[in-house]
Parts: sequence; C-alpha cells; structure tokens
Amino acid sequence: MLRGSCLCGGVRYEIAGRLAGALNCHCSMCRKAHGAVFRSRAGVRASDFRWVQGEDLVTWYETSPGTHRGFCRVCGAKLLSRFDFEPKWHGLPLGALDDDPGVRPAMHVFVNYKAPWYEISDNLPRHPEWPNK
Amino acid sequence: MIRASCLCGDVRFEISGAMSGASHCHCSMCRKAHGAAIGTYAAVQASDFRIVAGADRITRYGSSAGIVRTFCARCGSTLQWLRESKPDVVDVALGILDDDPGVRPERHIYVGSKAPWHEITDRLPQHPTYPGAK
Repeated sequence: MLRGSCLCGGVRYEIAGRLAGALNCHCSMCRKAHGAVFRSRAGVRASDFRWVQGEDLVTWYETSPGTHRGFCRVCGAKLLSRFDFEPKWHGLPLGALDDDPGVRPAMHVFVNYKAPWYEISDNLPRHPEWPNK
Repeated sequence: MIRASCLCGDVRFEISGAMSGASHCHCSMCRKAHGAAIGTYAAVQASDFRIVAGADRITRYGSSAGIVRTFCARCGSTLQWLRESKPDVVDVALGILDDDPGVRPERHIYVGSKAPWHEITDRLPQHPTYPGAK
C-alpha cells in the first residue's frame, strides 16, 4: 500500500497496486502546473487508487482537452491527473507520496521544451518529444 | 524584464530587476506543494516584482510559521514563497517563468529531506538543511 497526501494534510489517498512508467516530463504545461523544473510522474491504475480523505478539496483544471489535473484548493499541492480518453489509468505526480513507490523515473520526455535554466545531468534516456513519436 | 505566468494564464508577473540565489529545495513541504522532486526558487526584490494580472486568483497558504506559499486558484500553479520577516524579497518558483532568468541554480538545500526516488547527479553544492543553519 502506497500512501500520499497534500501539504496541508486535508487530502489523503492510497494506492493498492504497483506504479508504472515513471518518468520526468519537461513539457511547458508540466513545468507551469508544478511551478517546477520538471514533473516526475508515474501511471496508476484507476482501480488501485482511492481517495481516503478530502476528495471534495481537490480542484480539477482541464489543461488540454480531456486531461484534468487535480490539486488541493487549500494548499495547492499537485495530486493527480485523470484522462477522459484513458479512464483506466491516472497520472500520479510523485511529489505528494508519503511512501517510497519503489519505481524510479526511467527517462526524460519532451526535453525539447526543457527550462533554459536547467541542465539534465543524469544518464537516463532523453526523448525530444513523447517516445512513441 | 522577466515575465512569469501560471498554466491557465490568469496570473501574470513581471520582474524588472535581477534574480539571485537560485536554489533547488528538496524539503518535504516543497515536494508536497509542487508535487515534484524539487522546488526551485530564486529571489527578487519586492520593488522589482509586479503582479500584472490575476491578483484575485493568487491563493495564500501558510505552510509554516512566517512562511506563505502561493498558487493559482484556477489551475493550481505554484507561484511564490514569501517570508513575513523579509517583506522586501519575493522568492519566485522558476517553473512559471516565461523568460530565461539569467541565473542558474547554484545549490541544493534540504537534501536531508530528499525524495528516495530522486537522485542528485549534478555537481552543485549540497546542504543537509539551509546553509548556515544548525
């Protein structure tokens, strides 16, 4: 069981299964949404994810058609993404986890859009766009 | 002039002076607030910082004594880190910048609180907490 929670503690979630596809995304939307150099995320099966507390505090913003990013309206912590086109999977920002997810980011994606003030220094694969393209 | 804006574009800032002290912060509060591996901030004098649009969208959260973190109420973008003891300084989350700030992160702070799933691989100085703190 993996636990996660927002900064103020109003929202808590639990994940019963394994995370998949952990990566660092440098796209401008992820950088803006998180106010960070990149977003570290993994995929979580919707059936494995459960809000334990404070689901009513989660504000959803549709950042591109069908993609909704959720954050705590009290403290602003970034918590989850859900997709109208892929309802069986959610996108999980790793920063709100309270437990070690076991998985590690395995690649950088959308590095074409990387912040000019940041240099990638690890040896993970770097994809200019999404790897399927 | 350095411009910044949130994801939805409602909140917009302009920075007319130089930014300084850019740092990667690994503290658990930054990680939670950003939902990210690190929070990266640089400081600007409040007199050089201007809210161009969306002041009513800026939501304040007091994350610890004397510290306020702000985010956009509509899209959730993390915006600022503010100290009540230093009202003349604004720390801006670099992820929301639209322009190159010129400065580059010069250190890692609070690496004692680093996420277990994130490895630091650059050669910047690493501080267990805040430089100079006990």
